Amino acid sequence: MTPVAALGAALAVETLKLRRSVVARLATLLLVVLVPLASVGAVALARSPRAVGATAAKLTAYATGDLATTHLMVCAQVLSVATLFAAGFFLAWSFGRELESGTAGALFGLAVPRGTIALAKCLVALAWIAGCTILAVAVSMAVSAVVTASSGAPFAGAWAGARTALVAGLLGGGLALPFAWVATVTRSQLGTVGGLIGVVALTQMVVLLGGGSWFPYAAPSLWTGMGGADAAAAVGPPHLLVAAAVAPLAVAAVVHAWRRLTDV
Amino acid sequence: MTALLLDDVSHTFGTRVALAHLTLGVRPGRVTALIGLNGAGKTTALRALAGRLRPAHGVARVLGHDPAGLPADVAARFGQVVDTPLVHQELTVTENLVCAARLHGEPGRAAAPRASAAVGRMGLEPWRHARARSLSMGNRQRLGIACATLHRPTALILDEPTSALDPQGVVIVRELVRELADDGAAVLVSSHHLDEVARIADEIVVLHAGRDVGRLEPGGTDLEQRFFAMVLDADTRAVTDAGSRS
Repeated sequence: MTPVAALGAALAVETLKLRRSVVARLATLLLVVLVPLASVGAVALARSPRAVGATAAKLTAYATGDLATTHLMVCAQVLSVATLFAAGFFLAWSFGRELESGTAGALFGLAVPRGTIALAKCLVALAWIAGCTILAVAVSMAVSAVVTASSGAPFAGAWAGARTALVAGLLGGGLALPFAWVATVTRSQLGTVGGLIGVVALTQMVVLLGGGSWFPYAAPSLWTGMGGADAAAAVGPPHLLVAAAVAPLAVAAVVHAWRRLTDV
Repeated sequence: MTALLLDDVSHTFGTRVALAHLTLGVRPGRVTALIGLNGAGKTTALRALAGRLRPAHGVARVLGHDPAGLPADVAARFGQVVDTPLVHQELTVTENLVCAARLHGEPGRAAAPRASAAVGRMGLEPWRHARARSLSMGNRQRLGIACATLHRPTALILDEPTSALDPQGVVIVRELVRELADDGAAVLVSSHHLDEVARIADEIVVLHAGRDVGRLEPGGTDLEQRFFAMVLDADTRAVTDAGSRS
């Protein structure tokens, strides 16, 4: 069996598992339906006379500016975090449950090596989260097009916002890959989810201390404007490249860990 | 050539000795049964042989290779069920078998016929489209054994393969194991079921406190009696040795 054939077999198996996964089905639904609704709904609420007090203060950034651009800006901000959580939960399940349930032990002595299976899990997760991101942005644009058409507002600004949303969503998904390694090391799905929540909390602290742009988990969200215009301007291609580099490094680490897996 | 080999293998979990200088080999065409009380070291020995555990001392070999990193062409001739089988609860019986066939190296177009044949062979037709999570423990065990054997391995390890099976399932597994061995496969089986072992094995290795304490002939009606006599003798010798050292 050639390495390419082995990867093909592993991809077929892992794709089937993803299609049958309750975690993946729920996450797909949430990303493709809730993100567009949140994007358009948050802007509508911000521009509604009913938004007063704390709500109005929190949504100030969405209250003015081009309507379609703002829809897609919110979409990018939500996606940058939502894809991290969705992919993180899926990877916790995909890797952690094999080790928790003991099926990882059955993956020994197969013609398809364990490292190839781990690589396939990562690639399938990335492809799935990329598909969800594209769908979420496409649905957001469609809903935005309907809203702008009905209010007579221009739609042209949506395209640049869509590009930002796609990049933010993909970066968020890629940043989840280290949790495949966490699941492998901890051999625990809940432990991995705990690690994911811990990293999100740490990101908040890093941003509060002003070190966000070089912190991979903060850079995509800041770039989308979640921390304000000044923080967004401080994030450039080098910062985003650092965030993008996390995924391949994590894949290499998790493949290595699965090759060396023992005591299962 | 010895197809399955443990050579002077020792391992401890903390201070507890799991295996002590165990040497064991299975030749092609032979079924060797590993029997012993709970905690005797049977599963640890099988895990070491499957590459799932790196023993602290000694060597494990499957078809002449380190089981932790079998070359693809060698792995395609190996099968194992130790503890949890290659069965994913969210997949159907057929899907699990197709996945197992692919992971054992079968090309995509050959996987479905292999899966279908395995369903028939293991008596799983009524549950062909059922999710694995909905199966009884016995049918799940049948499915696990099917997943490990549908590629007709020439080296096979089975840990307690009949522990949850009904009499019909026991016969199916017994016939499968004998058929594979008759085709030249080396099979190592662990079991508590001495009657079953007597029917299936060419050789019986008694493991006690991590040590190989002797071999039993499969024939005869007094296997249980001979097993306990051997275990008692091993315990007596251990006490005597400890006394003479102190």
